[in-house]
Amino acid sequence: MKSSIAFVLDGKVVEIDFDRSSQLTPTTTVLNYLRGLPQHRGVKEGCAEGDCGACTIVVGELTANRTIEYRAVDSCLLFLPMIHGKQLITVENLQELSGKLHPVQQAMVDAHGSQCGFCTPGIVMTLFALYKGGSRPSKDEIGDALAGNLCRCTGYEPILKAAAAACDGQGRDHFSADEAGIAELLGSIAPDGISISTESQRYDQPATVNECLLLMEKLPDSLIVNGATDVALRVTKKFENLHHIIDCSRIAELRSVSGGDRSLTIGAGVRISEVMELVRNDFPGLYQMLTVFAARQIRNVATLGGNIGTASPIGDSLPVLMAYGAEIILRSRRGTRHVKADSFVQGYRKTDRQPDELIMAVMLPRPSASARIQTYKVSKRRDLDIATVSAAFRVDLDKQGMVSDITLAYGGMAAYTKRASSAEAFLSGKHWDRKQVEEAQNLIDKDFSPISDVRGSAEFRRIAARNLLLKFWSETKG
Amino acid sequence: MHQQIPHESAALHVTGEALYIDDLSSSPSLLVGRVVSSPHAHARIASYDLTKAMKAPGVVAVLCAKDIPGHNQMGPVVKDEPCLASGEVSFVGQAVFLIAAKTDAQCRAAEKLIDVSYEPLHPILTIDEAVASNNLLGPARTMQRGDADTALRSVAHVIKGELRTGAAEHWYLESQASLSVPGEGDEMAVYCGSQHPSETQTLVAEVLGVRKKDVVVEVRRIGGAFGGKETQGNHVACWSALLAHATGCPVKVRLFRDDDMIMTGKRHRFLTRYEAGFDNEGILQAVKIELNSDAGAATDLSFAIMERAMFHCDNAYFVPHMHVVARVWKTNLPSNTAFRGFGGPQGMAAMESIIDRVARFLHKDTSEIRHKNFYGLNSNNTTHYGQTVEENRLPRLFDELMESSEYYSRRVTVQAYNAANEFTKKGLALTPVKFGISFTTTFLNQAGALVSIYNDGTVLVNHGGIEMGQGLHTKMQQIAAAELGISIDRVRVNATNTSKVPNTSATAASSGTDMNGAAVKNAIETLKLRIAECVAGMFNEKNPSLKTSKDDIRFESDVIFDSKHSERKIDFAEAMAQMVLRQVSLSSTGYFRTPGIGWDREKGVGTPFRYFAFGMAVSEVLVDTLTGATTLLRTDILHDAGDSINPAIDIGQIEGGYVQGVGWCTTEEIKWDDAGNLMTHSPDTYKIPTARDIPADFRVKLLENATNPNAIHGSKTVAEPPLMLGLSTWLAIKDAVSAVANHQIEPEFSLPATNEVILLSIDNLRGQMKARASKQVSA
Ligand SMILES: Cc1cc2nc3c(=O)[nH]c(=O)nc-3n(C[C@H](O)[C@H](O)[C@H](O)COP(=O)(O)OP(=O)(O)OC[C@H]3O[C@@H](n4cnc5c(N)ncnc54)[C@H](O)[C@@H]3O)c2cc1C
Ligand code: FES
Ligand code: FES
Repeated sequence: MKSSIAFVLDGKVVEIDFDRSSQLTPTTTVLNYLRGLPQHRGVKEGCAEGDCGACTIVVGELTANRTIEYRAVDSCLLFLPMIHGKQLITVENLQELSGKLHPVQQAMVDAHGSQCGFCTPGIVMTLFALYKGGSRPSKDEIGDALAGNLCRCTGYEPILKAAAAACDGQGRDHFSADEAGIAELLGSIAPDGISISTESQRYDQPATVNECLLLMEKLPDSLIVNGATDVALRVTKKFENLHHIIDCSRIAELRSVSGGDRSLTIGAGVRISEVMELVRNDFPGLYQMLTVFAARQIRNVATLGGNIGTASPIGDSLPVLMAYGAEIILRSRRGTRHVKADSFVQGYRKTDRQPDELIMAVMLPRPSASARIQTYKVSKRRDLDIATVSAAFRVDLDKQGMVSDITLAYGGMAAYTKRASSAEAFLSGKHWDRKQVEEAQNLIDKDFSPISDVRGSAEFRRIAARNLLLKFWSETKG
Repeated sequence: MHQQIPHESAALHVTGEALYIDDLSSSPSLLVGRVVSSPHAHARIASYDLTKAMKAPGVVAVLCAKDIPGHNQMGPVVKDEPCLASGEVSFVGQAVFLIAAKTDAQCRAAEKLIDVSYEPLHPILTIDEAVASNNLLGPARTMQRGDADTALRSVAHVIKGELRTGAAEHWYLESQASLSVPGEGDEMAVYCGSQHPSETQTLVAEVLGVRKKDVVVEVRRIGGAFGGKETQGNHVACWSALLAHATGCPVKVRLFRDDDMIMTGKRHRFLTRYEAGFDNEGILQAVKIELNSDAGAATDLSFAIMERAMFHCDNAYFVPHMHVVARVWKTNLPSNTAFRGFGGPQGMAAMESIIDRVARFLHKDTSEIRHKNFYGLNSNNTTHYGQTVEENRLPRLFDELMESSEYYSRRVTVQAYNAANEFTKKGLALTPVKFGISFTTTFLNQAGALVSIYNDGTVLVNHGGIEMGQGLHTKMQQIAAAELGISIDRVRVNATNTSKVPNTSATAASSGTDMNGAAVKNAIETLKLRIAECVAGMFNEKNPSLKTSKDDIRFESDVIFDSKHSERKIDFAEAMAQMVLRQVSLSSTGYFRTPGIGWDREKGVGTPFRYFAFGMAVSEVLVDTLTGATTLLRTDILHDAGDSINPAIDIGQIEGGYVQGVGWCTTEEIKWDDAGNLMTHSPDTYKIPTARDIPADFRVKLLENATNPNAIHGSKTVAEPPLMLGLSTWLAIKDAVSAVANHQIEPEFSLPATNEVILLSIDNLRGQMKARASKQVSA
């Protein structure tokens, strides 16, 4: 176990020993670390909560075949130990030594993509990651890539143009030339677990599930993190001192995926952006929901396990997992168990998970051919917004067009994700037609008594919830 | 000139080299400042004790109102805004104490040790509550022409209504920040993001109790402002200066995003009531408008903002009998402030609502009603405050845009779509903007410059304007290069600095280029005269038989030459070296004051504006009537930028302004709770447009052949006006909502049209339709 971390920055391995640093703690964010370096002030803080993208940097990770994969992430939500063994790329690294601008930088200049310039370093880094993606992005993909970068000046149009002009589908640049060398440096960083203890904090990064479970048993008050996109806000917004963190982002087993004809099992540590690729064809309802999950910088870090772990009543994945009849796999030193998604949450941010249990994976049964599944997210803004009301519906019809099975799962309508049980009961066995659906709409009012809050009034939630059922019917009646 | 050169800082932006306040490094003695603010909307400060906080680790100073050496005031116009609250707090987020410590964490820890107790008082949190308790900030004002009351009695139709428009947060990407560095004696240098450095200098001098000669304010660039740093950039500057003064160390104050959103003012909320009379053709005969704004706890610029709303509630339409009454209300919220459009958007929203309703009432297309009511070219062309609308581009813009946007054929398509689809509806709307250019407080219409040429032929331009992304410095660079006939890379625009150009006005009211450009030109004219005289002398010295007059000297392509004898020429840089040898001063100030404007505020008549800016937009939306989600399908904008100095920059201003307007009209909703706490205090809940919220098909064009005789190089400012084109989106959404009831019922609608407003409005329409249907059945 090491108490220091190492990563590659500016072409060199940088080591941080928390014992010796008076300024840095294990919950110092990468943003604050970089801004403390005189040569990396290009990275900006706009919100410290993952909602603006001004702090976007690119993290390079060694893949199995020793190439480097580049992902745009919000540095304001990354704890320093999370970049152990990775490459940090900031806006200062893009220009060539000769002074020549990187193609994405040049395209931004040419397209007049900056006005006040404060959002620009973050935008450039998002474009850099897109450029390195190596495909020619469509207009919608460009919009999707940029949805996590707010710009208040330009109205985005020139930035979209710059992206289209720069991303030539090759992704060649000086990083390509240096890649083998960087890969070697990354390979030289030992993959051991990390355990950092400072005066007021302990931060463990176990390398295996067993190590993790042992720690959880030994230190029951510790906080598990994976992507930390939820937990980091306690540091960056609430200025809490998190005393003990068990960071399970390095555990390979949590990132595994398996499955066959009947089901797909996705490790809890699989990132949302990776989940999207896995479910795109076979679980389109889940894919659909994840397209409006936060923004790319967050999806590149946030995990499925973390999303379930929050048990947030407005989390995006839980209603969908209910509609798919998913099971959540939990493991502790006592053993492994499966819990149905719809019995996992039991109250406001309260789950069936015991303190010593780790969320290992999610098992998604492949839906039968007759199942019709749709998912909806009602939010003020389409991208990078939290749901006011969300829903995932599934209906199975028999040959006569009668409802043989139905799940109507809602987020944002109660203290936790919940099914509309009376509406479900009413519709079961009924003909799937508008008249019945309209009657069931009235029952939804009985199933929930939503609250009014900053995201919307109770009345709005009630109307939206009712309407979503009608929308579902209109999209599945055919 | 008139070229699309990139922003002067573009390369610095994309490489991350461009410096903002928080990037400035200073000495190792740099301290971090923190503002401790009121948790109450209205309360008496019963007692406080700072001793524990002062003793906290790393803390160097903790200040309260009593510690202010000068005046405890930072009101820009009316002195009703204390720098630190004393005795009473009047909004949540009002600054009460200041802390300076080595680190931000130490400041936060010390904040917890401040012992303060408040006695809560009753707060007023809405316009309605302010009206109920008659909490006016100042007397009501009226502006009128004709006799609206009498006219309303004889018109064919009258509609009455009420409109609420919401507050909005500027959401500049760079939050408010200031670094103050004390010098020797009374010296204080302040590096901040103020749109009005001269005012910042005044206020810093006043709170410190020193004189202006000792205070220097410098602004290199601002990471977005939009009006939010016109007066409220002063606050952080004063706070950091107070802490720097108290500690003798440089102090940086940067507001954390949430603090910035909680502490600073927003766009004014308006409650507008109107009564409009019109004939069977939809031509407006008489309009009465009552404007009520929520000023917040102090005056700030609220009266000027209301004045602009009064000037713009005609928008683009001639109304023979018009009566406008305006009241500014005081509430226990942060003092609301300038925001792009400066009251114009709120005034226009009222008039555009009226027009929209007239069209629905008469079952006509809204564009037809708009067209009929536009100001005329030769008649019906005076505003309700008596200014003639000259160089009226409305008819041209309308004709060209209706054609290029294919309005009529798309109207047919939209109708067909709506007839065929029950759950999704499309909407289409055209809206114009006519925006008066000048500060309506006439004396502010002045600007200064200081241009220095060095003996290597490079030029440093100082002027009073601020670069906040709008490309002002780029345009100044272009103007200077064009005037001197030199290439652009020889010219650099300096950081704006009060020791270079004194007593300036704010960079606001869309006047930056017009006024500073003219001042720069004026300075260069002085220099060119000196240079021409000397160069002519040099030419004549060489060959006295040929006479070069200074009037024949030309400056072009980096060369100075005699236009009559083109072989007589000298390279610009070489000439500048000669000037120094020949003892010619190569530094000059320049000055400009806007001519031909003036008006009588008491009577509400005159010519407050140098000219009008015009633009027009057509927006088409798709509304999901079951979720309230809106998709912006296409927007066509045709805007009048005169002979644009830099079309790329101007188009950037139009696109950016429009998208900001779309935000104000759709997703940007500010909410306070019952105790006056801002609920939408971070981007988690306050939603400005993202890259996928802009029109899927976005076509922006500048009007061609549109020289403006009233500004530099035939140009026209862009800046604020495009924001108001966002109203086309708002009304397109309303059009789609209205389609739910086949345009037979006037929808309830407010601004912003969030998904909630849309869904509640549709639910209401569906309810009314059901009621009507059942009535018909029972009848
Ligand atoms: C700007 C922003 C936008 C967001 N948008 C969305 C959105 O659109 N939709 C949405 O649903 N969420 C959203 N979130 C919330 C958050 O990103 C997601 O919930 C994310 O999936 C959390 O994953 P993580 O790996 O980052 O979790 P972490 O922050 O690491 O952990 C979250 C919680 O889960 C627990 N946990 C994590 N892993 C495990 C495990 N293996 N076993 C047991 N417990 C575990 C942690 O203890 C913690 O309580 C957003 C967050 C931000 C900052
Ligand atoms: S600072 Fe806004 S996303 Fe990180
Ligand atoms: S250029 Fe100013 S925020 Fe993007």
